[in-house]
Amino acid sequence: MAEPEPLIGIDLGTTNSIVATVQDGQPVVIKNRTGQGLTPSVVAMAKNGKRLVGSIAKRQAITNPQETVYAAKRLIGRKFSSHEVQDSLRALPYEVVAGQHDDLRIRMGGKDLSVPEISAMILQELKADADAHFGRPVTKAVITVPAYFNDAQRQATKDAGRIAGLDVLRIINEPTAAALAYGFGRTVNGRVAVLDLGGGTFDVSVLDISQGVFDVVGTGGDTYLGGEDWDNRIIEWLVFGFAKEHGIDLRKDRMALQRLKDAAEKAKVELSSVREAGLNLPFISTPPGGGAALHLQATLSREKLEDLTSDLAERVVGLTTEVLGEAGVRASELKEVILVGGMSRMPQVVEAVRGYFRREPCKGVHPDEVVALGAAIQAHALVQAEHELLLLDVTPQSLGVAIAGGSVRRLIPKNTTVPTSATEVFATSKDFQRLVKIMVLQGEHDLAHQNELLGEFVLTGLREAPRGQVEIDVTFDINAEGIVSVHAKDRETGLRQSITVTASSGLTEEELQRIMDEQRGYLIAARASEELKTRRMELDSLARDVVDALTRARLLPGGGGLAPDVVPRAEQVLEHARAVRAGEDVAALGRACELLTGCLAQLKGPAPSGTGR
Amino acid sequence: MSSQRANQLIEAGLWLRLSGDAQGARRLFERALELDPTNTRAREYLAAAAGAPSRGAATPFERPPELESSLGRLPPTDADLPSSPALEGDWGAWAEGQGGPSEGGGKSPPADVVLPEALEGTPADVLELLSRDVVIEFDEPVIQAKGDTDEFGLPEGHTQEFGLPVVESELDLLLRGAEDLLELDDHSGAVDLLFKAKELAPSDVRVESLRARSERMLMARLESKLGDLGRVPAVRLQPDDIIWLNLDHRAGFVLAQIDGSVSYEDLFSLSGMTRLDTARILVQLIDEGVISAG
Repeated sequence: MAEPEPLIGIDLGTTNSIVATVQDGQPVVIKNRTGQGLTPSVVAMAKNGKRLVGSIAKRQAITNPQETVYAAKRLIGRKFSSHEVQDSLRALPYEVVAGQHDDLRIRMGGKDLSVPEISAMILQELKADADAHFGRPVTKAVITVPAYFNDAQRQATKDAGRIAGLDVLRIINEPTAAALAYGFGRTVNGRVAVLDLGGGTFDVSVLDISQGVFDVVGTGGDTYLGGEDWDNRIIEWLVFGFAKEHGIDLRKDRMALQRLKDAAEKAKVELSSVREAGLNLPFISTPPGGGAALHLQATLSREKLEDLTSDLAERVVGLTTEVLGEAGVRASELKEVILVGGMSRMPQVVEAVRGYFRREPCKGVHPDEVVALGAAIQAHALVQAEHELLLLDVTPQSLGVAIAGGSVRRLIPKNTTVPTSATEVFATSKDFQRLVKIMVLQGEHDLAHQNELLGEFVLTGLREAPRGQVEIDVTFDINAEGIVSVHAKDRETGLRQSITVTASSGLTEEELQRIMDEQRGYLIAARASEELKTRRMELDSLARDVVDALTRARLLPGGGGLAPDVVPRAEQVLEHARAVRAGEDVAALGRACELLTGCLAQLKGPAPSGTGR
Repeated sequence: MSSQRANQLIEAGLWLRLSGDAQGARRLFERALELDPTNTRAREYLAAAAGAPSRGAATPFERPPELESSLGRLPPTDADLPSSPALEGDWGAWAEGQGGPSEGGGKSPPADVVLPEALEGTPADVLELLSRDVVIEFDEPVIQAKGDTDEFGLPEGHTQEFGLPVVESELDLLLRGAEDLLELDDHSGAVDLLFKAKELAPSDVRVESLRARSERMLMARLESKLGDLGRVPAVRLQPDDIIWLNLDHRAGFVLAQIDGSVSYEDLFSLSGMTRLDTARILVQLIDEGVISAG
C-alpha cells in the first residue's frame, strides 16, 4: 500500500516560523537544517548577492539593514495607503514602495517583491525542511494566521503558500490551533482565553469552544509588543553601562549592535530558567583614537530584567483586560487560560497572568511550538476521515454596506460561521433617485471609509419616487470557500444587480503565475548552482591531491616506478580540469573528477607486489 | 640604480607597515638592504621592525606570552610554513576560474621612483604623506620620476617644467610599489597599496586592473587556505583565553559569529564586510590557532 501523503502545519509567525506534522498519531515539530525548531521569519539579500532565509538572515539583520526583511507579516495583504502600513514605514529600515493596485512592494536585492513573495521564501525554507524530514516532497499544508486577519490578509497568506509550492488546505486562526494542540477540542466546552506573546506581537483571543467548534468571540492585542521589546531594554542597559565606563555609544556601530542584540536575546532566554546570566562580548569596540579593543562583560539578574521591563508586563495585563472587556467576558467565566509564544516562558509574564486571572495558566513545555502543532493536527484531521475534529470557518470581520451619511450597516457580524446568508431591506435616501451604489465593506469601524472596500456596483433603473419609497433588498451570501456574493434587487420591478467578491492579496492571477514561474526557475537554478559548487569543490580537492602526488612522483628517483606516461597524462588531465572548472557544465566537471580520480590511483603507484600470497 | 630601487622598496614597506603587515614590510626592508647595503633607512626600519613591535608592527592576533605557553603547540602560522609547491599555488590562483598570475614574463620592470629627502618642508616619510589631506600644489617638487618617464610621454629631466601633477606621482609610487609586491608574491601588501591608490584615482584603469588581479589572487589564496567553504569552523579557545588575544572589533565580530553552526560561506554572508576582509580575518584566526578549520 502506498504511504499516505505527508501533511504539515505551519505557524508563519511575525518573528519566527515553525513547521510540524503528525507522526504515529502524535504531533511533532520538524527541526530545521540547523537543528532548531524555530526558523526566524527573516529574509535577506547578502552583500554577496546570496539569498538568506532564517537564522542566518537574522544574524546579519543589523549589519545589512536595508536588504533584510523582517516582520513581513505586519504588511501582508494590506494596502499601501492604509494607516497600518504608513505607520510601519517609519520604523522599517528596508524600503517599501507602492504597487500597481495600492498593494505594497518591498525592495530587496534591486527587485520590488510583493509581500507574499517574501513570505513564500520563508515557507519554502520550511517546506525544504519538511521535504528533508520525509525524504520526499511535501505539498499539503495548513497555515495559521492571527484571528484578526481579514480576507485579503488570509488570501495573501494562501498566495504565499502557492508561490512556495504548497497546496494550502486551510488557513486557521492561531488561537484555535493553540487550543487544538492543548487538546481542548475534545475536553472543553466553554470559553477559553489564548494569550500569545511572541517575538514581535501580542495577541489575545477569546474562544468559545462547543462540540469541537471553535468560535473566536473576541480578539485584540498589540502588533508591536513582543520579546524584541524585552531585548531592547537589555540592550539599552548594556549600552548605557558601557557608555558610562568607556564613553563610547555602541549603538553607533552596527557590528556592536548586532552582537548586543544576539547577546540580549540569549540572556533573556537564559533568565527564564536561571537567576543570573552572564553577557560576555569581547572586542566589542575599538576606541576612536585607536588602542586595544574593549570588552563588554556584564551580569544580568532576573530581578534586574524584571525591573527593566515591568511596564511591558503591565501592558500585557492591560491589553488582556481590554480585550476581555470588549468581548464582554469576565476573567472568572473562563474555563482555561492558555499561554502561547516563547515569551510566555518568562516567569515575570506567567506571574502577571496568574495574578490577573487568579489561576494557574495552562502552559506547555514548548509554548512557541503549540500553534504549529495545532496546525498539523488540523491538517491531519482534514485528510484523515476518521478524525472527528470539526473546525468551522468563520468570517474574521464583519461585512456590510455603506449607507447615507458615510456610515456602515453590518449584515454579517464577525465570527459568523460560514456558509451563511443575510438579507436586509434598504430604501432610497434622495427624492427621485434613479440609481443606488452598493459599496461592500469589511471591518469593524462605524465609519465607512475606515473599513476595507471589498467591491462596489450600481443598481440602475429605479422607479422615480420620493425618498424612502423605493425599497431594495440587499443579500450577502458567503459560501464554504469564503467567497462573498452580494445581490441587490428592486422589490417593485424585480431588477437585479450583483457582485462576487473574491478576496485578493493585491496580486492578480497573472502576477501570481509569473511569480510562481520565477520561483520555480530560482529553485532550479539554486539546485544547479549547489550541484556546480559541490562538483567544483570535489574537483579542487582531487586536483590538489593530484598536484601533491605529482610533486612526490617528481622527487622520487626514477619517478617512483611509475609507468612513463603517468606523469604527462596527469598533467594533461589537470590542464583539462582547469579548463572545465572555468565553465558551468556539471556533467563535464563530473567527468573531470573521474579522470582525476583515475590519475590519482595511477600516481599512488603500482600496488606493491608479493605482499599477499 | 640599486639605491633607487632600494628606496622604492622602503616606501612600499612603509605602506605595508602602516596597514599592519609587519612581516611584509620587514621582507621589503630586507630586500632593500640586500640591494643597497649602505642604505641607512632600510637598516633603521629593519632594526625597528625586529626590535620593539609598535602598534603597526604587531599583528592584530598576537597573544600574550603567558597564554602562548599555556596553549601548548599551536598550528604554524603563515610565516612558519614552508612555501607551497608552485603547482599548488597555481591551482589556488586559478581556482576562481579567472585571473591568476600573468605568464610568459611579459611584464616590464617597474619604473624607478625616488622621494627626494632634502627638500625643505616636503614630507619624506610616507606616513606623513598619508596623513596629508590636501594635495600639495603642483609646482612643489615632491616626487621626481626618473628613468622611465618616457613611457608616460614626458621628456627626461623636464618633469617639473611640464607640471606633472603630484597626485599622478603618488599614484605611480603606489602602483610601482604594488607591482613590486606582486613580484615578491605579497598580494596582501599589494592590495593594501592599491586600496590607497584607488582612493587617489578612483577611475584609473591601471589601478583597477591591478587591484582586481591582486584581489582575485589573494582571495583565491585565502580561500584555498580555508579549504571547503561549506565546512563549519569552531573556536578552539575558552572565553577566558579569548579576551587575552589582541583582536580588533572586526575580528571580534567574526569570532563572535563562529558558534559551531555557521559555515565559512555563511560567515562571508553575515560578516557585513567584503569577502576579502572576511577571508583575511578568518585565515588569520586560523593561523593564530584561535579557530579550527572545521
